[in-house]
Amino acid sequence: MGRKVKLKLLSRIAYVDLVHEVAEGLARDARFPKPAALNIGLAVREAFINAIKHGNRMDAAKRVEVEFEQNGDVFRVRVRDEGPGFDWNRTVDPLQPENVFRPSGRGIFFMRHFVDRVAFQKRRGKGTEVLLEKQLERAGRTSQPIKRRRR
Amino acid sequence: MKANVRHHGKVTVVDLSGKITIGDGDIKLREAVNALLEEGRKSILLNMGGVSYMDSAGIGELVACYKRATEKGASLKLLNPTGKVQDLLVLTKLQEIFEIFRDEREALTSF
Repeated sequence: MGRKVKLKLLSRIAYVDLVHEVAEGLARDARFPKPAALNIGLAVREAFINAIKHGNRMDAAKRVEVEFEQNGDVFRVRVRDEGPGFDWNRTVDPLQPENVFRPSGRGIFFMRHFVDRVAFQKRRGKGTEVLLEKQLERAGRTSQPIKRRRR
Repeated sequence: MKANVRHHGKVTVVDLSGKITIGDGDIKLREAVNALLEEGRKSILLNMGGVSYMDSAGIGELVACYKRATEKGASLKLLNPTGKVQDLLVLTKLQEIFEIFRDEREALTSF
């Protein structure tokens, strides 16, 4: 069992920076280089924003739980909301010419770019969980990428 | 995020610093550009050299500023995006939309 850190916060945009800083700091503690740690921070930031806006639908009384776990060379983050759920498959491709000028719709796209694996799971009666995983690449070793699975 | 405005002839340069993210930088960027458009400024250069990173809300606001400027007949261009910001512009294909300059003098004469 790896080290675990858990945050449970109300759905407030004001907490986004805090969550980002904790994510980036723990990634640095897990020996990710600075650029990779920033990418992890950005992915967790987007997942937290997503949980507030689309999961809890800006209901400030609902909470978002963010759980960080380092297990071997894998850094894993679970972001759970308490909302009615959302359809993560309905996101548009922000790279399509008709979407490039859209002011929104890049959050999940960023998450998928910044970590190795992103998976969504509906929790029965409890909202949605977003799982983010990033593999630590050690010098002198070819790392096995985390198998991408679609849920 | 901070936004300092300076004028070079008809061109307005906005020196941005810090991060352009949800709830703070995105709002300040919107306010700064909206104020210039309301003053009737037609040539706006956003100096991104001091911006450390942006999130999806910041990128979204940058796109929205570009659209509003275009609708008002103004030009909005970018100067010297830093490593992470440059990465995000490439990732989102926005580097194909924005005119991006490395040299301020060259940017100023492009309007």
